[in-house]
Amino acid sequence: MAVKSEYATFKGGIHPPYNKELASSKSIRTAPVPAEVLIPLSQHIGAPNEALVKAGDRVELGQKIGASEAFVSAPVHSSVAGTVKEIAEITGFTGAKVKAVVITPDESQPDFEKKPGKDLESLSDEEVRSIAKEAGLVGMGGAAFPTHVKLTPPKDKPVDMVIINGCECEPFLTCDHRLMLERPSDLVAGLKLLMTAVKAKKGIIGIEANKMDAVDTVRAALGKEADISVEVLEVKYPEGAEKMLISALTGRKVPPGKLPSEVGCLVQNVGTAIALYEAAAWGKPLYERVLTVSGPGIKEPGNLLARIGTPISALVEACGGIKGEAAKLIMGGPMTGWAQPDSSAPIVKGTSGILLFTPDLIDTAEEHECVRCGKCLDVCPMFLLPNFIAQSAKRELWDKAEMYGALDCFECGCCSFTCPAYIPHVSYVRKAKAEIAALKKR
Amino acid sequence: MAENKMQVTVSPHLHAKDETISRAMRDVLIALVPAAVWALIVFGMNVVYIIAVSCITAALSEVIMRKILGRKITLGDYSAMVTAVLFAFLLPPTTPLWVVAIGAFIAVALCKEIFGGLGKNVFNPALLARFLLWISPLGLYTAKFVKPFFWRESNFFTPVATSISEGAAGRVVYKTLAGNPIADVVSAATPLSLLKSGKMLPEIIAGPTPVGSTWVTSSGRPSLGSLFLGLKSGCIGEVSVLLLLIGGLYLIYRGTVDWRIPVGIIGSFFLLTLITWYHPVYNLFSGGLFLGAFFMATDWVTSPVTRRGKWLYAVGIGATIFILRFWYFRPEGVMIAILIWNPLAILIDRYVAVPKFGEVKAPVFNKLPALPEPVPKAAEKKT
Repeated sequence: MAVKSEYATFKGGIHPPYNKELASSKSIRTAPVPAEVLIPLSQHIGAPNEALVKAGDRVELGQKIGASEAFVSAPVHSSVAGTVKEIAEITGFTGAKVKAVVITPDESQPDFEKKPGKDLESLSDEEVRSIAKEAGLVGMGGAAFPTHVKLTPPKDKPVDMVIINGCECEPFLTCDHRLMLERPSDLVAGLKLLMTAVKAKKGIIGIEANKMDAVDTVRAALGKEADISVEVLEVKYPEGAEKMLISALTGRKVPPGKLPSEVGCLVQNVGTAIALYEAAAWGKPLYERVLTVSGPGIKEPGNLLARIGTPISALVEACGGIKGEAAKLIMGGPMTGWAQPDSSAPIVKGTSGILLFTPDLIDTAEEHECVRCGKCLDVCPMFLLPNFIAQSAKRELWDKAEMYGALDCFECGCCSFTCPAYIPHVSYVRKAKAEIAALKKR
Repeated sequence: MAENKMQVTVSPHLHAKDETISRAMRDVLIALVPAAVWALIVFGMNVVYIIAVSCITAALSEVIMRKILGRKITLGDYSAMVTAVLFAFLLPPTTPLWVVAIGAFIAVALCKEIFGGLGKNVFNPALLARFLLWISPLGLYTAKFVKPFFWRESNFFTPVATSISEGAAGRVVYKTLAGNPIADVVSAATPLSLLKSGKMLPEIIAGPTPVGSTWVTSSGRPSLGSLFLGLKSGCIGEVSVLLLLIGGLYLIYRGTVDWRIPVGIIGSFFLLTLITWYHPVYNLFSGGLFLGAFFMATDWVTSPVTRRGKWLYAVGIGATIFILRFWYFRPEGVMIAILIWNPLAILIDRYVAVPKFGEVKAPVFNKLPALPEPVPKAAEKKT
């Protein structure tokens, strides 16, 4: 039985094995430049980008290579200086075909030249938004929603609180933990920029209780900031989910189908806040990110600063290669990440980790008929009925699937994690969402 | 990289270590052990013979039915064993073994596999089989009870055979297998049939007044203490309230059973007997109330999944038991009440709404959202 924690949290959720010790003590190091980078043109949720370069073109580090006129979009930038080999169809990390710019890097790569620093204190909200947009910022926790869109809340819904998600509740991942330890003042500066962008008075950095060193470090970096506080949260998955985090920290509940602005909140991930700082202070676009390469199948797990477009295989090599029998390769965290058939896919802005599982970590079984134990309802942080969503989707009863909450599911995977019948709820939910959306378009 | 061997599945990629159907079923079996051991002490080796025959028949029935229906054999999930042991628990300790075998076959083959196997059965298989046996001609063999420690008058290990004596209609005579009638083992009334047959004496309500070594009140009815500890006649599994409670609490601790159902059933039933002053404590410790509340009504497949639904279901069962015992004097109240509410569980899940996270105006009943017509049916898609 779960022991009640002294820290704030939400109702539901699970306690998976965290396995963070594999990489949590490893300092961030720079990954080598790969032989080829494959930069998907669209790495965000929203309108697709058009290529701004063509085969044979010479590109500089940080040059914009893809953009769209649409508001809900984020441009992409070259992560190397080199020559465009081709614009090709590649298989992305979700398994779908995506358009990508393939660039052959130069032999020697230049360091990024920091542009003359702007006075961060004097920036206006409009300026911060345009900096975010120009730098191609997206949510780096995995959702990859364009940041400038999030920074534009509806006029009638003022945002009074910006929350930095430092929970990193996914097992194995430690990149946000390392960023908080190694760059706390940049994080605080990034949070202040976010507060400027939405004119919020208050900032909270929420960190799970298994990272007390990060809590201390960030608190020390706050100095005399009176409007910003660091709050400790219970170690529970999915503590870092937007709605759960807001509820745990403020008690405000975002209604179904609504955005956090509905309750006056804005949530951003640690990596995004630091990237915003880099963009505003140095003029640096989002062409590289910190991610965790870990798992029992990796020889030397660690946290790497890697260029967007680096293939998985290059990062696995950079971590000493494979140890033991590799059975499952995951891009992202183990609860929401995507299993890869091979290691060819490139990392994108939303990639928080690369995990290699050995057979002992894999626990899959044939799907059994639902035994109606109700455990999925107990763990669902959204209080949905995952078993009935799955059942309805199986029988193609889409109206029922919606009734049981398919559209409110954010696919955290708690239901499947705990299901004695090994039902892949998330797979059914995705199918239901697609079918319901198609029906509603009619 | 050995890429051809990479497993590709939808997230999540982790699974809780001990959340499996077989673990839950094992938990139930473990929770039933104390009550089974006590039954062995009170009713002799017959208990072991009955449970064994029930288990073997259940296992064979599942294998045969699954072979016929072309399904995978799933004995490894222990669900047939749970059904078998629970079914055995519902029988009087003198049930002939051939009747046990027929019942266990009915439970697994007809009440579970025909419905589609574990997860698709509408009724609790053990209870439904017991009910079918009760209303069938074989019910005669399962309607009479013996008093605790009856085996002292024969032998602990000797199986009891039951026969229907000619002439006296409906009379059951117990014999040892060798054919010798067991002396003085006339069917003993169960606590509830005693309640049914006459007015209660005040001492029963007052509490235990042990007479001699048998903990029976001077009126011949078991005292509350003997009811609670398990010195009474009855079905194999229902005699000791204390041991059933221990097993039930273990299941709650393990997260296999939701506490709301036993608390709802026992609580609502006790409250109703208290209001009507219908021998509240005596009623509480009699019959299959604890066995039903902790082990039968909590069956995953045949109870609602939502918390609200569980409360409704539990209180409904408690109230139904009360009605059946108070107005109709049915000692079988628990069985019938649960069987009435089993199919209602599906309706409860369909119509009782669960407020979603952040829902301000939560509905009471579920309503189907209006999706644009036509909602594609499986049949349409094929064409």
